[in-house]
Amino acid sequence: MADTKTSETAPKKGKWTRRAFIGAGVVAGGALVIGVAVRPGNPIDRLSPMVAKGKGEQLINAWVKVDADNIVTAIIPHVEMGQGVFTSLAQMLADELDADWSKVRILEAPADAKYVSHDIGREFLAPNLEVPAILEPTVGGTFLQLATAMNLQITGGSFSVRGTGQRAMRVAGAAAKEMLIAAAAEEWNVPAGELRAENSMILHDKSSKSAPFADFAAAAADQGLPNKPKLKSPKDYKLMGKAMARHDIPEKSNGTALFGIDADLPGMKYAAVKAAPVVGATIESMNVDTAKSMPGVLQILNMGDFVAVVADGYWQAQQALGTIDAKYSKTEGDTLNQDALFARYATVLDEAGDDDGDIETEKGDVTEAFAGAATKVEAEYKVPFLAHATMEPMNCTAWVRDGKCDVWSGHQAPLMARKAAADTLGIDTDAVTYHNAYLGGGFGRRSENDAIIMATRIAKAVPYPVKMIWSREEDTMHDHYRPSATSRFQAGLDKDGKAVSWSNIHTHLFDPQEAPTVPYYNIANHKIRKIDVPTHLRFGPWRSVDHSQHGYFIESFVDELAHAAGKDGYAYRRELLAGSKRHLAVLDKAAEMAGWGKPLPEGHGRGIAFVPSFGTIVAEVAEVDMTGAKPKVKKIYVAADPGFAVNPDGFAAQMESSIAYGLTATLYGEISVKDGAVQQSNFHDYPILRINEMPEVEVGIINGDHKRLGGAGEPGLPPLAPAVTNAIFAATGKRVRELPLSKVDFA
Amino acid sequence: MTALFRAAAPILVVTLAACGSDPAPEPTEQIVVREPGAEAPDSDTTPPAAEANDSLIAAGKAAFNTCIACHVVEKDGANRVGPNLYGIVGQAAASVEGFNYSDALASSGITWTEEELDAYIANPAAKVPGTTMMAGAITDAGRREAIIAYIENVSAN
Repeated sequence: MADTKTSETAPKKGKWTRRAFIGAGVVAGGALVIGVAVRPGNPIDRLSPMVAKGKGEQLINAWVKVDADNIVTAIIPHVEMGQGVFTSLAQMLADELDADWSKVRILEAPADAKYVSHDIGREFLAPNLEVPAILEPTVGGTFLQLATAMNLQITGGSFSVRGTGQRAMRVAGAAAKEMLIAAAAEEWNVPAGELRAENSMILHDKSSKSAPFADFAAAAADQGLPNKPKLKSPKDYKLMGKAMARHDIPEKSNGTALFGIDADLPGMKYAAVKAAPVVGATIESMNVDTAKSMPGVLQILNMGDFVAVVADGYWQAQQALGTIDAKYSKTEGDTLNQDALFARYATVLDEAGDDDGDIETEKGDVTEAFAGAATKVEAEYKVPFLAHATMEPMNCTAWVRDGKCDVWSGHQAPLMARKAAADTLGIDTDAVTYHNAYLGGGFGRRSENDAIIMATRIAKAVPYPVKMIWSREEDTMHDHYRPSATSRFQAGLDKDGKAVSWSNIHTHLFDPQEAPTVPYYNIANHKIRKIDVPTHLRFGPWRSVDHSQHGYFIESFVDELAHAAGKDGYAYRRELLAGSKRHLAVLDKAAEMAGWGKPLPEGHGRGIAFVPSFGTIVAEVAEVDMTGAKPKVKKIYVAADPGFAVNPDGFAAQMESSIAYGLTATLYGEISVKDGAVQQSNFHDYPILRINEMPEVEVGIINGDHKRLGGAGEPGLPPLAPAVTNAIFAATGKRVRELPLSKVDFA
Repeated sequence: MTALFRAAAPILVVTLAACGSDPAPEPTEQIVVREPGAEAPDSDTTPPAAEANDSLIAAGKAAFNTCIACHVVEKDGANRVGPNLYGIVGQAAASVEGFNYSDALASSGITWTEEELDAYIANPAAKVPGTTMMAGAITDAGRREAIIAYIENVSAN
């Protein structure tokens, strides 16, 4: 392991070494091993050999390790993709443990089924399940089994802090502290109640005795497991709620951070790949005459659905690949064009009439309310497919030999990646070792297994380790896209402009289920329906998933209602949210930060949008300058209530990055299909926001309920597009009903 | 991103139903152009053995590009993923201050003569099983010689 020095300012990330895995099955140094009833069914004795390898190291529970130098290691069952989650989760654990932050290290949990999050399985399978406390362990165990079966060691859904952090990391830290104190009480022969922990020390104030955690680590293992470790109340937080420096900043600044693409192995070769342009097509023939004689080329593979060139270097592989002329089979998708796809959506929505389609939510009687409304408003909105365009292109390194396989990549769900590799090879999952690294951007793209499967297939065909790297063109043309969609609304207003009916029908619903719904708005009658319109393109989760399109649809339409009612967007939303204190507080804060109502220069406009998602309530106000040829977004004010921001700086950074990502999509993002193939290929036709286009962002955080945390990675995105388009309407009177803005003529 | 779970549910059913399912398809066409190790026609980084010492060092400097992701050769230079290699030739193994060596290397008893270094960078894991040096493995003897010459030259100046 490279760097030994422990930073005094920020914890470092540890790395799994080969040794740790080889050591599995042997408890190093005869260390005592215990389980903590943090997670029912937690097989601590099998976890220990994987993480507590060294002499004097003691595994306190699945997520805490204390070594002989009194270093506390937080073991994190999530992946770091720039969202800062390693730091936030370590803060939660270290705070409850009263650990010395300068001596906290971070280790990503191995891709092992024992480290799955049953909480996330439960959140998915039965989010609203209420169970009596006495049954909780049983239910928890059940969800662990389900989560394990589904390979859910996963990072997504803006879930890590509010789920794993709140329910596991904090509890683990608190439990470990209670056990260390109990051990110290025995050793010093004093009541446990007289002891306290501070900065990784156990203190007995009466006798002025103190000793490091490490002195009691082994004895702590003999203590009974706390059934319900006492968690701190916010007034006692020392690390939570503070902007602790992110542990990964130094290595990401000096270039030593290792991403999936940095995997390096003795004798490793490189693969470049090109898939059939139309998904589902196969390669019928390929002309390799030129490629065969190019430098460095080792093998040329027709894998059926893609061509791979394996060479000594990546550039050599890519250059040779570029000379290969392949012929592809015909597929049903070959005839699909983007205009025709939107026309198909329109036909399907027309045919659905007032009643067909799947009802997602229904309340009251929209037909009657709409019929009797004083004002009727209708609108249709469209959004295109979107690619993820992660900075680090898709890649995976695999080495298949002797009936086993090692895989290196950066994946949001390491266990799923491991399973995918095993299934690809037709071997047992235990024969696959999956090594995860930092992700150079995830956004949902790295929850898919396609790159893992392709690399494993190539590796199976060659006798050496092989690193497959996709070109940017492959990345853009073979993504799992945010779906293109059309959404239609009808609403009725009474004579005072109050909304009395809200009807919506839209294409597709992926997730979350509540994305198209507006339960927080006081509208007596709702009916929301969806119709799936499958295409051959692959859909996938994109940052904020369906909230990305429905946030735009819903908040554009609410603005249209406000306009029809003769009210401004802020005042109108206040009425719709009447009685919801937390919601109103967020809306009011955004308006206050933005100086809502104050005059703006000629040709400038202000727009507001409000979207609660992933447990966090967010309102954004955009200021847009429309005096030029195209919109210039000047400033974004974000007010957000995540319940409690564990790391306010990290939370604000997520809001800012959501704006960068969301504004890219709002201004430019468009993947379109022609003859079944994606037309865009690289940053010249799929541009990313430039630094000079980035608006100033101001983030205001409200800690509205420390017991119910919300997410950070995604909720900042959905209000961005409608805040911008509503601002454009305010400045110009032009309503934007189709994204991206680059397609709209503002002349 | 919770979307993934919705997608995962049906996949789960399929997976269970198809336990022991067929692995993914193998290549329909596999063209082996060359085995690894067989020399590529234009191996321009390998200096001919007969060339003068200066050009050996120059070649070593170029070849050292393989190493710079992890190592520096600088007086008082910082350790990176791997230790600073300044003055390494002739030193006892695992003696660079401040670097966290593997137990394997620390207990190897090796002194880094040119021959030992050569054997090590030819295949670190074979020479010292348990080493954390994952990269390296320079198969070309000429390049190894050049790299060692370069390190010696930098350390001497």
